[in-house]
Amino acid sequence: MAGEVRVIEDKATPIKKEWEEYARKGNWTVKGYEIVRAPSGPGKIEESPEAEYMVIYRPHGVLYHHSYGLVSKFFKGLIDRKFLGTKCPKCKTVYCPPRVHCWNPACRVAETKWIELPLKGKVHTFSVMLFSAEAFLEMLPFVLGYVQIEGADTALPVQIVTAPTDVFVGQKVNIRFREERKGDLMDIYALPAKGQTVPEDSCLHANKKNIQDLNRDLENTYEFLNKRFGIKKADVKKRWKAK
Amino acid sequence: MDALINAYFLIKSGQFDLILVAGWEWMSEVDTATTNEFIASASDTDWDFTVGGFYNGYYAALETRHMQLYGETIDDLGRLAVRNRNNAVHNPFSQWRAEHGKGYVTLDDYYKDRIIAWPYRRWNCALISEGACCLLMGSEKAAKRLADNPMWIAGVGLGTDSMRPGDRLADWAYHGVYKADEKRYPVKYGKLKTPYPEMANFGFAREAARQAYAQAGIRNPLKEIDVAELFAPYDGVELCLYEDLMFCPRGEGKTLIREGVVEREGELPCQLSGGLTAFTHPVGATSLLQTLFLHWQLAGLIRKKLGDATLQVKNANKAITTGHGGTGCQGGVIIYSRD
Repeated sequence: MAGEVRVIEDKATPIKKEWEEYARKGNWTVKGYEIVRAPSGPGKIEESPEAEYMVIYRPHGVLYHHSYGLVSKFFKGLIDRKFLGTKCPKCKTVYCPPRVHCWNPACRVAETKWIELPLKGKVHTFSVMLFSAEAFLEMLPFVLGYVQIEGADTALPVQIVTAPTDVFVGQKVNIRFREERKGDLMDIYALPAKGQTVPEDSCLHANKKNIQDLNRDLENTYEFLNKRFGIKKADVKKRWKAK
Repeated sequence: MDALINAYFLIKSGQFDLILVAGWEWMSEVDTATTNEFIASASDTDWDFTVGGFYNGYYAALETRHMQLYGETIDDLGRLAVRNRNNAVHNPFSQWRAEHGKGYVTLDDYYKDRIIAWPYRRWNCALISEGACCLLMGSEKAAKRLADNPMWIAGVGLGTDSMRPGDRLADWAYHGVYKADEKRYPVKYGKLKTPYPEMANFGFAREAARQAYAQAGIRNPLKEIDVAELFAPYDGVELCLYEDLMFCPRGEGKTLIREGVVEREGELPCQLSGGLTAFTHPVGATSLLQTLFLHWQLAGLIRKKLGDATLQVKNANKAITTGHGGTGCQGGVIIYSRD
C-alpha cells in the first residue's frame, strides 16, 4: 500500500526485546536519595544562607530509532564494505559525507549520483581526545579526525588509529573497514600511510612543549583507564599498531 | 540569543509592548561525561557524534585547523584562559570564583592544567553550569516609562551554516561572498571549493555581524565598539570570532591577543565577566547573562552590582554580544547602545 513502511531486512527485533528490560529498569522512579545542606536564595553564592534539600536518584533507559533517510545507502554500503560518496552531475562537486541533493544554488537542488570512492585521503584537521562522552571513554585516548577523501570536496569525520603524538594536518591516511560493522561511521577508521615524516610547520609539533604536555596528560589518561576499566597502557598502545 | 532577537522583532512589530525573556539551564543531573554526551546529541548524531566526538572534540578540531592555517599557538589560547579567570575573580557571580577563590592565575598555571581535547585544556572549555536569567524588554515608550538606565538594541543579525562542519570545505552559501577572506586562505594546505569559512572560521557570525553592523551604522567595529561579551564556549572560538566579527582581518586574531587589545585595559575588552569558561555557561541562559552583564557595563552599574569597579569600562556606549549553536551551525549578533 502507498505510504506504508515495509521491513525488508530485520536486524532490530533482538535489541528491541533486550531493551525492554532496561526501559523497565530505567523507568524514572526514585531509586535512592540524599539529604544535603547547600546555599539557598538569590544573589552571591558566598553570601547565601544554607537550606536543606532532598536529592533524588532515578534512572532512564532509552532505545532510539530513526531512519538515515536517502543517505541510508552510504551506511548500508559500510556494512557491505563499500565506500560511497555522491557527485553532482552539474557542478561535479563530490560529497563525502554524501548529499543526496547538491546544495550549490547554481545546481538547483540537482540529485547527485552515487559513486564508489578510493579508500584513502588526507587529514584535514584533528583533535587528540583525552576525555570524551561516556560512551567513548574506554576508547581513550583517540584521535578524532576530519579526513578529506581522495577526489572528495568535503571532509568526513573518522577516527584516526595512530599514536596521538604522530598525527598532523595533511597526513595521508588509508581507510580501513572494521571486522564488525554496524552501519555507522565507526565501521571504518583511518590508518596513516607508511613512510611519512611530520612536516616542520605541523601545529602540534611546532613546539616541543606541546608534545611534552600531551605525553604528560596521556599518562594521566592511561591511569584513568586502568582505574576505571582495568585497561593497561600496553594494550592501549597495541591498538595503534598497523593491522 | 534567539529569544532576545525574537522578542526584539515581536516588539518592533508593534504586537507586544513588553516581553519578559527568561532562560535557564540545569546541567548537572548526570555525570560530566554523560552531560557531554547529552550536549553532543544536539550535534549531528549520524555524522559527527558516532566517531567519539563531543563538542570539545569538534571545536578542538576546528581550532587545530585555524591554528595550522594562521599560526596562533597554545600560548595564545592560554592567554585567553588566564584573562577569563583573572576577570572572573572580580565577578562574585562567577563559577570560577565560587570554586577557586579570588586569586589571580598565570600562564604557568594554565600549562599545568589538563589537556581535554588537544589543543584545548580544561581551562579553554566551557563550564558545566546551573543558572537562570530574566530580562525585561520593551518598546521605546515602555522603556522610557519603566527603566532608569535602559539599554537599546542598535542592530541585530542572524546567520547559518552547514550542520556538518566537514561540509564547509564546499560551503556554497559562502562561495565568492567574502573574497578578501578567501584570498587570505593559505593554498598550500589544500585547494578547496570554498576557502572561506571552511573549518577554520565561522561564516554564520560573519553574516550576522554584517547585518547587525549595517543596522547599527558601524563601519569600524574595533574602534566603535567599547566592550564585548562573545559566545565563546572554547577560547579558539573567541579568536576566530575576532576575525569573523571583523575586529581584524582573517588570520590576525592572534595579534589582538598578543597586543592586549582584548584584555581588561585594552582597546576592546572582551569577556570581562569571565565568559563561558570562567563566569558561567548554563546553555539556555548564557546569552541573557552576557546581555545583563553588558547592561551593567553600559549603565555604569558594575561597582554597584559586583561590589568592585575593576571590570567597569569607563564611558562605554556600544557593546556587542554573539550567540552560537551547534558547531557554528547558526547564531546571531546583537549590538547594544547606551545612548
